[in-house]
Amino acid sequence: MFRYYLKLGLFSIRKNPVLSALMVAAIAVGIGAYMTIVNIDYVMGGNPIPQRSDVLFHVQVDNWSPNEAYEEPDKPPEQITYLDGTALLAAGKARRQVLSYKTGRVVEPQGEGERPFQVVSRATSADFFAMFDTPFVYGGGWDKAADDNEEYVVVINRETNERVFGGEDSTGRTIVMNGQPWRVAGVMDTWDPIPKFYDLNNGSFETPEEVFFPLSVAIANELGSWGNNSCWKPSEGGWEGYLQSECIWLQFWVELHGAGEKQEYLSFLDAYVESQKALGRFPRPMNNRLYNVMEWMQDREVVEDDVGVLLGLAALFLVVCLLNTIGLLLAKVARRSDDISLRRALGASRSAIFAQYIIEAGMIGVAGGVLGVGMTWLGLQGIELLYGEFDFIARLIEMDWTVIIAAVVLAVIAALAAALYPTWRACAIQPASELKAL
Amino acid sequence: MLVMKDISKVYRTDTVETHALRQFSLTVDEGEFVSVMGPSGSGKTTFLNIAGLLEECSGGSYELDGRDVSGLSDNERSRLRNEKIGFIFQSFNLIPELDVFDNVDVPLRYRGFDSKERAKRIDGVLEIVGLGSRRRHLPSQLSGGQQQRAAIARALAGEPRFLLADEPTGNLDSQMADSVMDLLQTINEQGTTIIMVTHEAALASRARRNIHVRDGQLSDGEPELHVAAQLA
Amino acid sequence: MELGPIWRALMRHKTSYVLIALQIAVTMAIMVNAIGIIQDRSKQMQRPSGVDEDNIFYLTSLIYDADADYQALMAADLEAIRGFPGVRNAIATNSVPLGDSGWSEGIRLQPDPDLDSTGVAIFFADEHGIDTFGLNLIAGRNFDPTEATWRDVESDEWPPQAIMTRAMVEELFPDRPVNEALGKTVYVQQTKPVTIIGITERMQAAWNRWSGVERSMLVPWKRASAFTHYVIRTEPGYRDEIMPQIEEMLATSGTNRIVRGMRSMEEIRHRSYLQDSAMVKLLVFIVSVLTAITGLGIVGLASFSVARRTKQIGTRRALGATRLAILRYFMLENFLISSIGVVAGAIIAVGINIWMVEAFGLERIAWYLIPAAMVTLWLVGQLAVYGPARRATLVPPALATRSV
Repeated sequence: MFRYYLKLGLFSIRKNPVLSALMVAAIAVGIGAYMTIVNIDYVMGGNPIPQRSDVLFHVQVDNWSPNEAYEEPDKPPEQITYLDGTALLAAGKARRQVLSYKTGRVVEPQGEGERPFQVVSRATSADFFAMFDTPFVYGGGWDKAADDNEEYVVVINRETNERVFGGEDSTGRTIVMNGQPWRVAGVMDTWDPIPKFYDLNNGSFETPEEVFFPLSVAIANELGSWGNNSCWKPSEGGWEGYLQSECIWLQFWVELHGAGEKQEYLSFLDAYVESQKALGRFPRPMNNRLYNVMEWMQDREVVEDDVGVLLGLAALFLVVCLLNTIGLLLAKVARRSDDISLRRALGASRSAIFAQYIIEAGMIGVAGGVLGVGMTWLGLQGIELLYGEFDFIARLIEMDWTVIIAAVVLAVIAALAAALYPTWRACAIQPASELKAL
Repeated sequence: MLVMKDISKVYRTDTVETHALRQFSLTVDEGEFVSVMGPSGSGKTTFLNIAGLLEECSGGSYELDGRDVSGLSDNERSRLRNEKIGFIFQSFNLIPELDVFDNVDVPLRYRGFDSKERAKRIDGVLEIVGLGSRRRHLPSQLSGGQQQRAAIARALAGEPRFLLADEPTGNLDSQMADSVMDLLQTINEQGTTIIMVTHEAALASRARRNIHVRDGQLSDGEPELHVAAQLA
Repeated sequence: MELGPIWRALMRHKTSYVLIALQIAVTMAIMVNAIGIIQDRSKQMQRPSGVDEDNIFYLTSLIYDADADYQALMAADLEAIRGFPGVRNAIATNSVPLGDSGWSEGIRLQPDPDLDSTGVAIFFADEHGIDTFGLNLIAGRNFDPTEATWRDVESDEWPPQAIMTRAMVEELFPDRPVNEALGKTVYVQQTKPVTIIGITERMQAAWNRWSGVERSMLVPWKRASAFTHYVIRTEPGYRDEIMPQIEEMLATSGTNRIVRGMRSMEEIRHRSYLQDSAMVKLLVFIVSVLTAITGLGIVGLASFSVARRTKQIGTRRALGATRLAILRYFMLENFLISSIGVVAGAIIAVGINIWMVEAFGLERIAWYLIPAAMVTLWLVGQLAVYGPARRATLVPPALATRSV
C-alpha cells in the first residue's frame, strides 16, 4: 500500500508540476535560510574537544577589588595572576595542570634573503600538549624538567616548520627567535579547535598560536602578554612587581576525572584562598569557579548575540515559507477535489485519503530538504562573502553530515506539519460531492 | 417596453462559426408574463444573455424602454442591468459566504442607495417572498425553494423593469417548484413583467404567452406541443 | 463600498484570510525588528571617531634585537617620518581609535581606592599628539615639550598632566560647564594625581562597543619599547602614495625589526564595524527576500481565491457590478485581510522585540517603525492582489448563466 501511495504521490506531483515545484521551492528556501544560521550556531557553539571536554576545567579565583566585582553580577576574573597561577601549578593537586599566556616572538630564518617574521606564541607549562590532546607531526612537547631548567625548547606549528625547515622533520634542530637559538622539540600538526577554548580572552575564533615554549623561559625574558591584562590595583616595581601584583593575565586549566576529584580540587581551592586571605589578599568573599569546557564557553557567551538574533529571525522566515506551503497545498487539494471525491465514492476511507496525501507531502518534504541543503550551502557561501574579512569565517561555514541530515529531517517534518490542515480538509470532502457536475 | 428586432448572434472560433440566434424578434409589453421555450441547444440561453444585456448581439436591434441598448459601453450596460433587470438563475447563484440579507443587498449596493433605503427595500422584498424571519441565515441553511425565493427577493429589491428567469425551478423538487411558480405568478399579477426561459412545457404553461425557439430561430412551436400532448 | 458584507463574509470563512493575514503578520514582525536593528547599527557606524580619518594611517614596528636602544631608534624614526615629504605629523603611541586594542584606566576624583572610578581610554602621546590625530582642542592647552618626556615603560610614576575628551569631563563633573574642569586634579591608578590641562571635543576609544567609547585621555609619556605603533597624518591627498614609502623606509632602516599591520584609519574603521555592516547587509537582504516571498505568496493565494469564485464574480456582474466595482471589491477585501495581518503583526513584532531586548540586549524599536511597516505591508498586499483582481474583472457577466 505504501508503494502504491508513493506512486500516487509521484503521479500527483507530475500532474501539478508548477504547484509542486513551488512547494518544494518554498520549503527549500525556508530550510536553507534557517539551516544556514543553524550551521553557524552549531559550529560556533560546538564542542571543540569532545573527547576531553568534561575532564578539562578552567580555574577561577576571585582576587579582585573589595569595592566592585570583576564582572556583573559578581563573577570572578576570567584570568589568573602570576602569583596564584604559579602557586596552584606548584601545588600539583590535579592530575594535570597548565598555566599559559599569549605572547609573541620574531623568527629569524637563517637562510640568505629570508626575512624575519612575527609568530604569535604561547608561553606555557609542559602539560599543555597532553591535556589538550594536540596532534604532532614530528616529536612532541617537553617535560617538567625543561620547565624547571628554563630550557630554550620550542614546539612549532606546521606552517612555521614549512617556512623555516621546508617541512622536514626538524626535531632536535635549532630555530632562532629574537636573536636566541631554540631547540625544536616537536612540530604540531594542524590543530583547529573552534573556538580557541583554552584562551577566550582575545580572539575566541583565531587559530591557535604558531609556536609554544616554556612559561619559565618567557618569564625569565620578561615577555609581556599579547593578550588581555587587567589590574584593580596598579602594579609597582617593574617586571618583578608585575609578577607579584594583582594583575590578571594568565589562563589556568586542570584535568580532573570524576565528581570526586572535582570536589577535592574545589576544597583545595577554598583552602588556598583562605591561606591567601590570611596574608591580606583576596578581599572579596570566596568565589572560586571550576567550569569544564562547555560550561566555560557558555559562561563566556562565546556564540555572538548576533547569531541568536539571526536564528530567531530565520526561524520566523521559515514560518513564512511554511505558510506559503500550506497555501499551495490547499490550492492543490482544491484542484484535486474531484479526484478525492471519486476515490471516496469508490470506497477509499478517510484514513486512506489522509495517508495518500501525507505521504505525498513527505515526498515533497524530502525533495525540499535535499534542495534545501543546496540552499544552505549557497547561504553559507553568502555568509562567507559578507563576513569574509573575518579570517575564521571559512571554518564556520563548513557543513558536516549532522547539519545535512538535520536539514532533510526538518524539511520533512515541516512539510508534514504544513500538510496537516490541507490534508484534513481533503479528508472532509464528501464522496461524490464533486461528482454532481459530471 | 422591450423590443428585439431581427437579433442574430454568431460565435466565431478559429475553425467554427456558430449561429446561435437568427432573426429573432420579440416584443414584450409592461405587465406581461412571457415564456421562451425550446430544447437545449436551441439558443434560448443566448437569447437570455442578450435580453439580459449580458452579451452583445451580432446583428439586429434591441430597445429597452425606447432606448437603443446595443453598442453601449460595459459600464453603461452594467448600470442598466442593475436598474432595469432582475435576474433569477437556475442554480440560484446566491453568494455562499453572505447571509440572505447581504445577498439581497448586493445589487442595491451597486445602485448607490444609502443604508436606510437599502434596509427598507430588503425588508420589504423579504416579506413578499416570505423569508422575513430568515434574513440572517446562510444559503447553506436554506432549502432549495427558500434559496430561490431569496434570489427572487434579490431580483425584486431594485424595482426592475422586468424579471428575467432562467429555468427558475430546474433545481427544485415538484413541491418547491410549484410554490416558486405560485410566487412568480403573484408577483406578475401585482404588475411586474416576467420573461422566463425554460424547456419544460408544464412550466411554460404557467406563463400567459409562449414563444418557441429552435435552432436559433423562432418557430411556431407546433411539433413541441404535439409531442407534449402525445406524451401526456 | 461593501465593508460590512466583506467583513462578515471573511469572519464566516476564516480559512480564506488566516493564511494571508498570518503571513503578513509574521513578515511584519520580522521586518520591524530587522529594520530596528539596521537603524541601530547604522547609527553606531556613523559616529565620528574625532580624528582626521581621511589622512591618518598607522603601522607597527616590532624590534627583535634585544640590545637595541629603543629610545634612540624611536626618536630617529619619528624624525625621519615627520621630515618625510607629504607627512604633516606623526607620533609613537599605544593605541588608535577603533583599533580594537588599547589600554584603559580608572579615574577617581579623590585618591581613595574605595571610591568608584570612571574608565577612560589611554593614549600615550607627546606634544605632536593633538595635531597628528587632528583633534579639536576646545579648552585649555596642548602639552609642552617639557611635560611630554621620555619615561621608562616600567616606571611607577604617572605624568601629572592630561588632556581629556569632553565626554570624559562631563562624566567626571556632570552638569558643570566643561571649562570648569581645567586645572582640576583627578587620580589615576588609585593615588597618582593628574591635572586636566586641556579638553578636546571628541576622540573615540579603541573599542567601539564599550559604553565609555567617547571617554579618552591623552597622556604625555614618551615610551620607548620593542613594540611601537606609529600614527602618521599626511597632507590631504598624499596618504595612499606615502603609506608604502614609509613602510619601506622603516623596514630598510637597518634596524632588526619587522614593520607590519599598516592600515589607514578608514580601514581601521571598516574593520571595527565589520560585524555590524555585515549584519546590516544580511538583514537588508533578508527583509527584501521576505517581502518578495510574501508578495508572491499573496499573489498566489489571491489568484486561487479569485479562481474559486468566478461564478460569484459573474453573478455580481450580472447584477450590475461594473468592472471597477469588482476590482474594488477584491482590493478592499485584501485591505481588510491585510489590516487583520498588520494588527496581529504589530503585536507579534513588539512581543519579539521585547524578547530580543531581554535575550540579546538589543535596542527597543522606535515607535514609528510599526506604522511605517503597516503602511508598507498594506501597499505590498494591494500591489500583490492587483493582478488577480484585474483578472477577476475580466470574468464575463454571461458566466452567471452558464449551467455548470
